[in-house]
Amino acid sequence: MAQPLLKKDDDRDEEVEYSPFLGIEKGAVLQEARVFNDPQLDPRRCSQVITKLLYLITQGETFTKIEATEVFFAVTKLFQSKDVGLRRMVYIMIKELSPSADEVIIVTSSLMKDMNSRTDMFRANAIRVLCRITDGTLLSQIERYLKQAIVDKNPVVASAALVSGIHLLQTNPEIVKRWTNEVQEAIQSRAALVQFHALALLHQIRQNDRLAVGKLVSSLTKGSVRSPLAQCLLVRYTSQVIRESGVNTQTGDRPFYDYLEGCLRHKAEMVILEAARAITELSNVTTRELTPAITVLQLFLSSSKPVLRFAAVRTLNKVAMTHPMAVTNCNIDMESLISDQNRSIATLAITTLLKTGNESSVDRLLKQITNFMSDIADEFKIVVVDAIRSLCLKFPLKYRSLMNFLSSILREEGGFEYKKAIVDSIVILIRDIPDAKESGLLHLCEFIEDCEFSYLSTQILHFLGIEGPKTSDPSRYIRYIYNRVILENATVRASAVSTLAKFAALVDSLKPRIFLLLRRCLYDNDDEVRDRATLYLNTLAGDSFAETDNIEEFLFGSFEVPLSNLESSLKEYIQDPSEKPFDLGKVSKEVKSQPLVEKKAPGKKPAGLGAPPAPISAADTYENLLSSIPEYANFGRIFKSSAPVELTEAETEYSVNVVKHIFDSHVVFQYNCTNTIPEQLLENVIVIVDASEAEEFSEVGSKVLKSLPYDAPAQAFVAFEKPEGVPAVGKFSNLLKFTVKEVDPSTGETEDDGIEDVYQLEDFEVVASDYILKVGVSNFKNAWESMGPEAERVDEYGLGPRESLSEAVRAVINLLGMQPCEGTEVVASNSRSHTCLLSGVYIGNVKVLVRLSFGIDGAKDVAMKLAVRSEDISVSDAIHDIVASG
Amino acid sequence: MLLAVLIANSQGNILIERFNGVPPEERLHWRSFLVKLGSDNIKGIKNEELLVASHKSVFIVYTVLGDVTIYVVGKDEYDELALAEAIFIITSVIKDVCGKPPTERVFLDKYGKICLCLDEIVWKGLLENMDKDRIKRLIRLKPPNDF
Repeated sequence: MAQPLLKKDDDRDEEVEYSPFLGIEKGAVLQEARVFNDPQLDPRRCSQVITKLLYLITQGETFTKIEATEVFFAVTKLFQSKDVGLRRMVYIMIKELSPSADEVIIVTSSLMKDMNSRTDMFRANAIRVLCRITDGTLLSQIERYLKQAIVDKNPVVASAALVSGIHLLQTNPEIVKRWTNEVQEAIQSRAALVQFHALALLHQIRQNDRLAVGKLVSSLTKGSVRSPLAQCLLVRYTSQVIRESGVNTQTGDRPFYDYLEGCLRHKAEMVILEAARAITELSNVTTRELTPAITVLQLFLSSSKPVLRFAAVRTLNKVAMTHPMAVTNCNIDMESLISDQNRSIATLAITTLLKTGNESSVDRLLKQITNFMSDIADEFKIVVVDAIRSLCLKFPLKYRSLMNFLSSILREEGGFEYKKAIVDSIVILIRDIPDAKESGLLHLCEFIEDCEFSYLSTQILHFLGIEGPKTSDPSRYIRYIYNRVILENATVRASAVSTLAKFAALVDSLKPRIFLLLRRCLYDNDDEVRDRATLYLNTLAGDSFAETDNIEEFLFGSFEVPLSNLESSLKEYIQDPSEKPFDLGKVSKEVKSQPLVEKKAPGKKPAGLGAPPAPISAADTYENLLSSIPEYANFGRIFKSSAPVELTEAETEYSVNVVKHIFDSHVVFQYNCTNTIPEQLLENVIVIVDASEAEEFSEVGSKVLKSLPYDAPAQAFVAFEKPEGVPAVGKFSNLLKFTVKEVDPSTGETEDDGIEDVYQLEDFEVVASDYILKVGVSNFKNAWESMGPEAERVDEYGLGPRESLSEAVRAVINLLGMQPCEGTEVVASNSRSHTCLLSGVYIGNVKVLVRLSFGIDGAKDVAMKLAVRSEDISVSDAIHDIVASG
Repeated sequence: MLLAVLIANSQGNILIERFNGVPPEERLHWRSFLVKLGSDNIKGIKNEELLVASHKSVFIVYTVLGDVTIYVVGKDEYDELALAEAIFIITSVIKDVCGKPPTERVFLDKYGKICLCLDEIVWKGLLENMDKDRIKRLIRLKPPNDF
């Protein structure tokens, strides 16, 4: 039985603390609710019962339909009471019970009466309850009262109507839009909250009318907005207007910037922060515009209020992604936040510092982070690990300390996602920074000695098999790998056996000793481990494959047949068993879906082990695809494959993009086509290419795409011959030609007759940067000096007037398509000169390094000095030619 | 949208919760996430000292008041700054209703009044009233003083 609610007596404070709801039961409370039907109502008792009902609802108790209806009907009886306290409880109870449409009618008349009551507060509450339970028909009946309420003198009534309007706009927009005049009047209200609610509602009503929003903003930014909350809304709407209107090209002024800047001096902190945030998010924000915002954010970093510190550091963290140099002034304040008790603030501070720090501050920063890492949750740690990885790629010279940091946190406690993030980072660093390879591999080896996650162990073993044999002393890894065979579960053991075999295949000197180890695996108690060991021993020993020189390719090469094709062929084979063994050679090699890289994820690097380099890298996917086409088999290896270039607008009938594959003396265009119409089947799809603006190219053949069903991407190809080793450029026009057949989507049946049709595609170009691979160097200075001045070419260029120095640097990097080194692609926001270092490999596998020195004058004219060093003087000249003609 | 207001006792049991625009199937996740967040971080913090976190695109501001922990969750325009305003008014009215930072018992004794106050402050995910004296009058159906 529920304990009765007792009035709190101060003398009882020290007595045993028991809940007034101890032992509360739904059935008993529903019984108690019968007091609502008493002819002589006891308001106090009724309020207590409603409180209990509210408690039950909050505790997740649900009422059956019958129970809810009974309680609702009983509660409506309470409208008879004149007790205001009880009436307030009745309002909340009806809202909580959310009566069904057929029940609402019972209470409507009482609420309508309250809505016109002379007691203001009855009006306000009745409006809120009615709006909660009303539907469209009832709403049009009470619309007149709601419009009156919006301009009611009592601010509580006006706010109730306005907030109801915001909710009702979602369900009955056509009715609420008729209230615009009243809402506009409410914006002028002297009551701060009414103004806030009216502004929010008016903006929502007009949000699709750019002109109206512009007018609203320009009138309110001149006038006085009383509540800070409304001021924040206005700042947001203003930045929306700025985004849509852009900069005045004649004066260079941005409309409303002065208003935002003025808000930085507002007395309410929330308005200042909102304005600062809006300024930092302006597109192409200049240093002059950014500086005052950064200054106020810096002040908030040392605020005593955690929310302000959080808001400031969160904003600066975002700024650091686009304008790292603008944030550097705040670094000292941010360093003190690393020890902030609020771990969210500390994490944001660290990741910001990692983005803005310079090479010399890395070690100091790492020391501070080490202390911090032990007492934050895994999700924060992952954010830090990601930031460390980016920092290491930015400052490759610092790989040693950063790699040590990663390996030390790898040894500490942590969940799977966290460990995976660290391992992924180490793998990426090994891949991108050649000097980091050996130490990184050893860190990974140490990790698998005590790794509780089989998935990570197998992935690392796979990676070791690829990278380990290429190191100076491959034998040092064998112990770690063989330990897995002795100590781990079957999955890891099988992986370890494969890794051992890779070492044996690639390092002749280790072969006899590894065979010894593999022979021991023949007695393993798991059949997969035994099978692998047997296969590797037999093939690598050279007995059965004596005359084949391609054993490595057979054992470890990437699988030529797409797995989905193999799966369907095997299914067919099982369904229709025959005496003949399954023939892998008969499985189609045609890739049915688009290669992985074409799933658009702009700016995302392949994540560490999630995408191991050998089997599913973009290059390999393309290599496999093209080698499966006999006509292109003699073109040699692909030098470079471009990112896909879209040749159609988004959401058109046929979606086509092209990947340019550059070979030594050929270029192959891979057209990835998707048919987005379920009622059509395209057949004999071919791309007709007009190369009249690409004189050095001559077409040597195209591959027809036989069938292109709905939503099953497939490829057509066109190959061109070009002078060997020459970076020929040109423009190509494209026309898609095909036979279209009608398909009945419900049955999938296709009509026999088709109609020939064509579809115009966009043009694209083969440019100089298609002949340069982005390959970084870990130490540019050493690489530059080792290249020597013999093959150096230096010249100066005027780039003319430019928007900014940063834009000029970006343009030259894009023109050359080379890898920026040591973070030099980022230009300090106020600097007048900048040096950018680039590295790459030119067609013919010639390494090339570029040093760009930029200067900008008052008229924004940019001059550039270009120094190129390469292994071949003609390549240095070629780079100058690219710049001169670009 | 102000997605949730949750008030839990020191053991992490929910005393009051008000979700807005959060599907029922996600509420359990939020409940346990918030309670864990609290138990990981609130140790040793003073009454009404605010803690902030963000989880995906959602912001959370929370604090301790006597025996209870108060969490407010918001997204979009209800960022950490707006949530700080909301939690400030919630803590003020609870202190006012209970007379001091409440023990769990006192909080439950005043349960009905606290529900009414929350109903005045947040209505279906929008901040409606922010003045504690006004709210005190509104829950007794009295018009605001400044009117």
